[in-house]
Amino acid sequence: MALVDDLRSTLGSDRVRSHPLELIVYDKDAGVTRGEVLAAALPETTQEVAACVRIAAAHGVPVVARGAGTGLAGGSVPAEPALLIVLTRLNQIWEVDEVARTAWVGAGVLNLDLSRATEHLGLHYAPDPSSQAACTVGGNVATNAGGPHCLAEGTTVAHILGVEFVTSDGDVVLLGGKAPDPPGLDLRAVVVGSEGTLGVVTKVLVKLTENPPAVRTLLLTFDSIQAAAATVSGVIAAGIVPAALEMMDQPMVVAVEGFIKAGLPVEAAAVLLAELVGLEEGAAAEAAVVERIATAAGATSVRVAADESERAVLWKARKNAFGAVAQAAPDYYLHDTVVPRTKLVEVMTQIYEIGERNNIRMLNVFHAGDGNLHPLVAYDRREPGMSEKVRAAAEEMVRISVAAGGSLTGEHGVGLEKRDLMGLVFEDVDLDAQARLRDAFDPNGRMNPGKVLPAGARCFDFDLMAGQDGGSS
Amino acid sequence: MQLSLGPTQAQLDSCVTCGLCLPHCPTFRLTGDETASPRGRLTAMGAIAEGAVAADEVYARMLSFCLQCRACEAACPSLVPFGQMMEGARARLARERPTTTGRIRRLLVGKLLNLKWLLALVTSGVGLVQRLGIMRLLPRRMRLARGLRRQRVFPHSAVGVHDVAPAVPAGSVALLAGCVMDQWFPAVHDATRGVLSMAGYKVDSPETQRCCGALAAHEGAERDAARMAERNVTALQGYDYIVSDAAGCSAHLKDYGHWAEGGGSVAARTRDITEFVAELIDTGRLPEVDGDGGEVAIHDPCHLRHAQRIVDAPRKIVRAAGHTPVEIDPDGLCCGAAGLYMVYEPDTAEALGERKREQVEMAGPTTVVSANPGCEIQLRAHLGKGYRVLHPIELYWEALNR
Repeated sequence: MALVDDLRSTLGSDRVRSHPLELIVYDKDAGVTRGEVLAAALPETTQEVAACVRIAAAHGVPVVARGAGTGLAGGSVPAEPALLIVLTRLNQIWEVDEVARTAWVGAGVLNLDLSRATEHLGLHYAPDPSSQAACTVGGNVATNAGGPHCLAEGTTVAHILGVEFVTSDGDVVLLGGKAPDPPGLDLRAVVVGSEGTLGVVTKVLVKLTENPPAVRTLLLTFDSIQAAAATVSGVIAAGIVPAALEMMDQPMVVAVEGFIKAGLPVEAAAVLLAELVGLEEGAAAEAAVVERIATAAGATSVRVAADESERAVLWKARKNAFGAVAQAAPDYYLHDTVVPRTKLVEVMTQIYEIGERNNIRMLNVFHAGDGNLHPLVAYDRREPGMSEKVRAAAEEMVRISVAAGGSLTGEHGVGLEKRDLMGLVFEDVDLDAQARLRDAFDPNGRMNPGKVLPAGARCFDFDLMAGQDGGSS
Repeated sequence: MQLSLGPTQAQLDSCVTCGLCLPHCPTFRLTGDETASPRGRLTAMGAIAEGAVAADEVYARMLSFCLQCRACEAACPSLVPFGQMMEGARARLARERPTTTGRIRRLLVGKLLNLKWLLALVTSGVGLVQRLGIMRLLPRRMRLARGLRRQRVFPHSAVGVHDVAPAVPAGSVALLAGCVMDQWFPAVHDATRGVLSMAGYKVDSPETQRCCGALAAHEGAERDAARMAERNVTALQGYDYIVSDAAGCSAHLKDYGHWAEGGGSVAARTRDITEFVAELIDTGRLPEVDGDGGEVAIHDPCHLRHAQRIVDAPRKIVRAAGHTPVEIDPDGLCCGAAGLYMVYEPDTAEALGERKREQVEMAGPTTVVSANPGCEIQLRAHLGKGYRVLHPIELYWEALNR
C-alpha cells in the first residue's frame, strides 16, 4: 500500500505500524468506541508530523492525532478510515523559563512529567486530569482537559499561551506566544479544545503555576449523597473556592480501596476530598470553615492528611478511581456532563434513578466543586443488548444535565461520543458557525473528520443557499 | 496438576483499557508505541484469543519485547494479573508456533540451567576469562559478562549446606540456593546464612531443590517450569520459612500456587530475604548498627518492588547497616536486565541500563544495593569502575561484623 510505503520512506519502517494486529491495538482509546486505522505513524519532530500530514493529503486520507490514548470520548478514534499520527515521541521539554514561568513542551510530554520536571523550581503545570500520569499535554490541549485542581485554576485553556500547529496543508504555524495579549484574533484559544479537527498541535507553550506554600487535604465522609452535595454548595456559598472538591460514592470507594488499600471509608455513602491551598494561615482557616460546614451538613468523620505521603495516597485513590472499575465489570462507560452546583442533588438523584430503572451498575466519581459529573457505568458488552442500554442511559443522563441548565461535556471533549448530542445545546446557526470556522482551517475536511460536529452541521448553509437562490457560500 | 496459566477470558476482561499502566512501562517509555505497552499487549492477547488475527511473528515480537518487569501490574487499579498472563501467552505461543530460537531459549532456561556441572563449567570459564583480562573481546550481547562479580575457577555451591542450629531455634528456614545465584553470588548466600543464624534461625539449603523455574516460566517453558516447581514443593516441605535472596526467585516462589500442586503452601511460607530481615529488625531480633557509613543508592529490583510490592525493606536494612539510603528513581523503572532479556534484547537493555546509570550518577553515592542478581550484573556493567554494587544483606552483614 502506497500510503504505508511513503510513510516508511519518511520515518523508517520501525516508526510505522500497519500490521492488522498493530492496527487493532491502535483502533481505540480508553473509551468504548473502535475505529478503523489505516496506519499508525510515530513521528519525532514537527517536520515529520508535517510530512505525515502531507503524505496523507497526497493519498486523500484523513488524519487523526493521538497522544497516549487515554481519552474517553473517542477523540483519537477515527470516525472514518484514517492515518493515525501518534505524538508520544514528541516528548521533549524546552526552554523552561523560571522567571516568566513558562515552558515550551512537545505535544507528547506526559502531563505529570512536566510537573515533575519543574518541581525543583517550585512550579507545576496546574491542569491535572485523573489520567495525568499517563496523558499527554497535547491530548489535554485537544480536549481542553480539566482535572480536580481546575476548580480554582481553570481548565487547560487558561494555561496554554501558545501552540505550534501543523495545518491541514502541512504548513507549520505558531499561534499565540509569551505576550499576555497577542495582537489579532486569539486563534490559540480556538485551537485549544478543537480535538484535532483544525490541525495537529506539535508544541505547546504552557504557563507554569507556583506550588502553594501550604496545603490542607481533607477526606470528609457522609451517610448520604445529599449531605455531601449540601456541603459542596455550602462551601461555595461561604465564598471559599477550594483548590479541589471531589466526590466519590460508595461503590466507587469500594472499588478503589480494593486497589489502594489506604483505609478508605468503604461504609460511607459518599466521601468528599477537599483541598485548600494558600498561605499557611489562610489554608488552615479555610480548612476549618470547610470542616464546620461539613459537620453541620452531617459529615460522619473528617480525616486530615497528616503529611505529604498521606495526601499523595488520597489523591492516588481519587485519580485511579476510574481505572478500578474492572473489579466491578469488564467494561465501563465514563460520562462527562456538567450541571449547576445548585442542582447537584437533584441531578444525582435522577442519575441514580436512571441506573436503577435500567438495572445497570453505576459508580460515581466527580468534580463536585464545579458540578462536573462523571457517572460511570460498569457493564459487560457481551451481554446482549447491554451496550445499547448503556448508551441510551448515557443519553438520558446528558439530557437531564442539559435540562438542568448544564452542559454536554465538562472536560473529556465531544469526540464521537457526544457528537450527535450537540443539537441539545446548540441551534443550527451555532453549529453552522462552528462548521465554518473549521472549514477555514481545514477546507478539505481531512483533520479528524466526523468528530465534534454532527453530520449536516452546515445545513443552515444549505437553507441559506436555497433561500437566496444559489447565493455563493 | 493441570496448568491453567491463561490468559483466560476473565483475566482479559479485567483490563478496562484505561491506560494508567502506560507510563510505568519501560518499553512504552522508550518507544511511545502502544504496541510496546501493557495495554497494547493485552489488547493483542485478546485479539488472538478472539481469533481476530492469527498469532504470527508480529504478535511474537510484541510478547518478546516485554521485559516482564510487572511495573504495570503494580500500577493497575483493576488488578490485572499481567505477569501471569504474559507467561501464559508466551507458553501458548511456544506450543502453537514454535521457532528454533524459542526452542533453544527454552532448552537453556528449562533444562540446562539445572545442570550443575554445566553451570560450574561456565562459571570456571568466566573465572578464567576474567583472570586473562580478555573480557572486552566478548560480543556486545555478552556485555553482561562485564557486570559479573569475580568468579572462582573452582566454583562452590550452597546446596546441601546445613548450618548448625542454635540451642533454641526461632524457626527453620530453607534457603533457596537458585541457579546462577548459587554459583555466581556465593557471598550473598554467606551473608544471608550468617544473618539468619544470628537471628536464631536454623538454616538449611535442601539437597533436592532445583532452580525455582522463574526464567523458564518467563520464557514460556511451562512444562519445565511446572516440573521444577513440583520438585521444589517436595524439597521445601517442612520448613517454617522459605527464604530467597534473589528477588526474581522469591517473586516466582510466591506464584507457585498456579504452578504446582501444593505450591500455595510454598507461596505462603516464602519471604524475600529483605522483607524477612526488615521484620526481624523491626521486632528487635536483629540489631541496628550505629554509625555514619555514608550514603547508599537504592536500586529497586522490579520483582521486589512491583511483583512483591516490597519497597521499605531494603531501605530499612541499609539504615540498620548504619548507612543513609538515597533514592535514584521515583518510578522504579526497570534497569533493563530482566533476566535473559539483556542477552536477547541488547539494544533495549542498553538504553534502560544507561538511563539507570544516569540516575545513579545524578543521585551521587558510589555504593548501590540491589536485591536481585540480574540487576546487579546490569548495574555493574553500566556503572563501571568506581562503583560498588552489592546485595543489601551483604551490606548489613558487613556492618554486623565490623
